[in-house]
Amino acid sequence: MSADVAVNVENLTIAFGAFKAVDDISFCVEAGEIFGFLGANGAGKTTCIRAICGLLSPTAGKITVAGRNVADDLMAIKTLVGYMSQRFTLYPDLTVRENIAFAGALRKMPARRILARSKELFRFTGFSYPQDTLVQNLSGGVKQEVALCASLLHDPAIIFLDEPTAGVSPASRARFWNLIKQLSAAGKTVFVTTHYMDEAEQCGRVSLMQTGRIAALDTPQNLKAANFPHPLYEISPSPAAESDFAAALAASGAGPVRPWGLRYHLEEQNADLWRKFSAERAGQFSQRRIAPTLEDVFLKLVGGGAA
Amino acid sequence: MNFNAARALAIALKEVRHILRDPFTLALGLGLPLLLLLMFGFIIDLNYGDIGLKVQDQDHTRLSREFARTFSSSGYFRLEPFSSEIAPVSWLDSEKASGVLVIKENFGRHIKSGRQGEAQLLLDGADNSKTGVVLSYLAGIMDAANRKFAQTPPRNSPEIRTRFLFNQELSSRWFIVPALATVIIGLLGVLLTAMTVAREWENGSMELLLSTPVRPLEIVAGKLLPYFALSLTGTVTVYLAARLVFGVPFNGSRIVYWTACSVFITAALAQGLLISVVARQQRLAMQLSMISGLLPAFLLSGFIFPVESMPVFFRYFTMILSPRWFMEISRGVFLKGAGFMELARPLSALLAINTVLITLAVKKFKTDIEP
Repeated sequence: MSADVAVNVENLTIAFGAFKAVDDISFCVEAGEIFGFLGANGAGKTTCIRAICGLLSPTAGKITVAGRNVADDLMAIKTLVGYMSQRFTLYPDLTVRENIAFAGALRKMPARRILARSKELFRFTGFSYPQDTLVQNLSGGVKQEVALCASLLHDPAIIFLDEPTAGVSPASRARFWNLIKQLSAAGKTVFVTTHYMDEAEQCGRVSLMQTGRIAALDTPQNLKAANFPHPLYEISPSPAAESDFAAALAASGAGPVRPWGLRYHLEEQNADLWRKFSAERAGQFSQRRIAPTLEDVFLKLVGGGAA
Repeated sequence: MNFNAARALAIALKEVRHILRDPFTLALGLGLPLLLLLMFGFIIDLNYGDIGLKVQDQDHTRLSREFARTFSSSGYFRLEPFSSEIAPVSWLDSEKASGVLVIKENFGRHIKSGRQGEAQLLLDGADNSKTGVVLSYLAGIMDAANRKFAQTPPRNSPEIRTRFLFNQELSSRWFIVPALATVIIGLLGVLLTAMTVAREWENGSMELLLSTPVRPLEIVAGKLLPYFALSLTGTVTVYLAARLVFGVPFNGSRIVYWTACSVFITAALAQGLLISVVARQQRLAMQLSMISGLLPAFLLSGFIFPVESMPVFFRYFTMILSPRWFMEISRGVFLKGAGFMELARPLSALLAINTVLITLAVKKFKTDIEP
């Protein structure tokens, strides 16, 4: 196992009774990268991440984290990694300081180190509330910042963030991703799950999850390039469009059409047929060549239901 | 077994903060014991003195009056003579008397001639507990009367004189208050810890806890410690109130008593923790702890029904319940002054129960998080 592999998962299956939450998946996360799990709720993202952090025993398969087998070296792995759950895990009736001190004490950090680290992390996250505030009095985004500090306290080399931005404001979301990039720049491996496409775009590599399986795994650029070799057009029907416009577009043979809000995204696989359709329906729509997004990739590979 | 005391202490400190910020837990830990003690101490009084006894003397002799006087001189009865026209039972019907004593005609004459004098005592059987007490007084009174009237005491007939040891005053408070410690700890201990692990599962903090290298034994130990202190404080309060407010004598060794208390408190807390570990839901844990805390402590500990008179099954079943053993210790130490030697059996039973409960709580502690 090479030293620059942070997480290696081989044929991982996690079943709850007859239901397979994770179904025979294999992948590898390199040290220092931002690795994203993109998928709908129930796609198996959280289950997989919990198994990697040793919070769940897999039904089958092998997981190594920093070269250590999770099944054999559970406690060592728990010391090595930082984990932030999608659920809110701090104690609401304790203050920020008490929560942080508790997290540090569980990791046997000396009080002086906890103090120094928390100062550093609060500066890093921009947390500016008094540390004697009870956690229950903080807003969702701020709570997540404190939770992030708690999971980064022991300076882990590999950080697992399970939907860290679920339910927080767009401004907090942007700030959070800034932090994730800084962590990565500092050499940390960040494993993050999300169901936001724009967040997935910021990952080094993304694994598209669908019902416990990996539908695709690559860099966002490669995913787009590989899945959209043809030009992509955004078609906006004008008010003059006839009622059969959508059906006619789909039947034109120009290429696959996917509804996109009130508009349509068309992959132009046959330029001749597209020119023919454009001529027939002139004046009924406007078109714009666009670059594919991860959402296009996701809809193409996984289908609706995400985001 | 890897055990890190620093981690257990960190958990204990965190629990102390939870307790201090949760007025309900504090009230439960300190208020409930006192409330129960005062309720049981003042309201339940199984001593009956000054029992109204109507006397219908049909004999009107010196001996019949003397016989009636043995009742009043026992200190338990207050005599109220009434005329022979009224049917004796009507006094009981109207609940104007707890008992009616009818001394038959020729009572004095029969006694003088060496025969048996006839008298009748009517008691209200509906008030079971009172009647039972009166009957026990009656034995003593008859004893006194026989000695008084017998011209020549039958030398060979054995004379039974009941003397109550250890609780000479037969004070029900002396009996109930030490036993109440069992009920209070048995109920309180289970209730206090039953929420603690389930709460962590419900509010998600268990996920943070388990993502660190903390071990179940450290969590269990860390959670036991502060609640032990809280329960012990509650128990000391009960002890002080029993001694100062109710004047219950303490004949035993304090070392024995507090050692046993500590062991029993730990058993009750461990029972609550086990429930919490297994239930993982606060509501279920609450129900389980009420049932498994309240019923054994009240009904199967010997507090209300003596273990010796239970059906065979329950006599053995109570052996796996800690309250039964501590009841034995508590009454033994308080009133009889029993020491470690006399209490070896209940003490080792408690220790065994402790070991089993704590081991189970640690073993059943799930470190897997299911969705």
